Amino acid sequence: MTGHPALLVFLYALVTALATGLGALPFALVRRVSPHAVAYANAIAAGLMLGASFGLVVEGTSFGRLETVIGVAVGVLFILVTQHVLAGREVELADVRGAGAQRMLLIVIVMTVHSFAEGVAVGVSFGGGVTLAAVITIAIAVHNIPEGLAISAVLRPRGATVAACAGWSIFSSLPQPLMAVPAFLFVDAFRAALPYGIGFAAGAMVFMVFVELLPEAFGQARRSVVATLVSLTMVAMIFFQQYL
Amino acid sequence: MDLGTSQATLLLLALASGAALLAAVGVVPLIGRPTPPPGLIGWTNAVAAGLMLGAGYALVASGVAVEPVPGVIGGGFGVLYVAFAHWITGTGQLELNRMGDAGPVYPYQVLMVHVLHSASEGLAIGVAMAVSTSFGVFMCVAIAVHNMPEATALCAILRSRGLTLPQAAGMAIAVRLSQVLLAVATFAVVSAAPALTPWVLGVAVGALIYLVMAELLPESYREAGHRSIALVTIVAMMMLVLLSGRAL
Repeated sequence: MTGHPALLVFLYALVTALATGLGALPFALVRRVSPHAVAYANAIAAGLMLGASFGLVVEGTSFGRLETVIGVAVGVLFILVTQHVLAGREVELADVRGAGAQRMLLIVIVMTVHSFAEGVAVGVSFGGGVTLAAVITIAIAVHNIPEGLAISAVLRPRGATVAACAGWSIFSSLPQPLMAVPAFLFVDAFRAALPYGIGFAAGAMVFMVFVELLPEAFGQARRSVVATLVSLTMVAMIFFQQYL
Repeated sequence: MDLGTSQATLLLLALASGAALLAAVGVVPLIGRPTPPPGLIGWTNAVAAGLMLGAGYALVASGVAVEPVPGVIGGGFGVLYVAFAHWITGTGQLELNRMGDAGPVYPYQVLMVHVLHSASEGLAIGVAMAVSTSFGVFMCVAIAVHNMPEATALCAILRSRGLTLPQAAGMAIAVRLSQVLLAVATFAVVSAAPALTPWVLGVAVGALIYLVMAELLPESYREAGHRSIALVTIVAMMMLVLLSGRAL
């Protein structure tokens, strides 16, 4: 493939965004939607997001520890403000209304916003040249699939179709190609902002897990089952990220 | 800083014992009160949960011994081991904050849960010491701080059953002896067989995460508002993320 390297970066990052849609596939098999299913899916989404955040914070602190933690604080604030704005509003997403739709919208917002930071990370990692492009692309694409899984785990049990799950998953990753290009072109400026962005992404995800996903999961299913699902998913995510 | 094995063992014994003794401070919020103020137990549990997650983060971020396959297998084992221990002792669905009468088996279950819980934290301290002396010291301090809010929850239960403050404080220390034992034993084993380090690290991470998810957070959500619990947990966690930089 030839062309301007920035175009290449955009195309590679677009591929990784599309991979996010694959996370919806396992939910093609889920038909019955009970309160337990919501709780278990929440638990899996929580584990995936917490595990991903561990990886993000490890990466962020390698650029700047205090900067990352400041980013986390801003991410927490962002969720608080978003919750405040959404509170009491009539929300509709993927033909679902009511309290379920609010939570669905919140996770789509969180995961979309978090993709901005990831897009910057992609652009900066390409900044050294595009020679490792294929390896980096595959790594990020594989890494995106669990994120689609997390979104679908929240959307699907509340009544969204598999196609809607895949669509919103891909949507949530679109900031990646959009941010990768400027980050690639202006590596130095974006590298300085990276720990803040990564911290923001991690803070928003962790807080979303603590304030929405876990309380709901514990309220609707046996504590030991929820805890086992969260913990196993989180452990798998933490350690498998070492490969990526 | 890295000490020889025998000095490091002594330092670990001293620090882990100190961490266990600090649990006695957990009675302080209960002085002069028959029952804890509302919300307090939820928040102390949330502080403990955040510090444990931060400790798990520090183990992962230590990087030295993190390997994917032993990590996942060890981590899965750590999760399932604690889940099994809860199940076999009949403590899986135990409510950890029941005041007043709750049947004759309840005190046994509560003490058992705390002994098992502390043992897993000892594992984390021991493997951290094997990674490096400074990291081991960091982990001892983190767990020592976390012992205090956790002891408050236990002491509140014991107080409501008629124990005096010194008796409750003594029991809070006694259930943490498993922490000291496991810390020293884990360090001894991992020092003798360094190849085990990534596996034991995985077990420690898995066990810490499961304890947070199965014991601390569900109780917290019941005792105080979701938002305040989420905030307290993430702040405690970020304190360790900030501070772990010096130890690694």
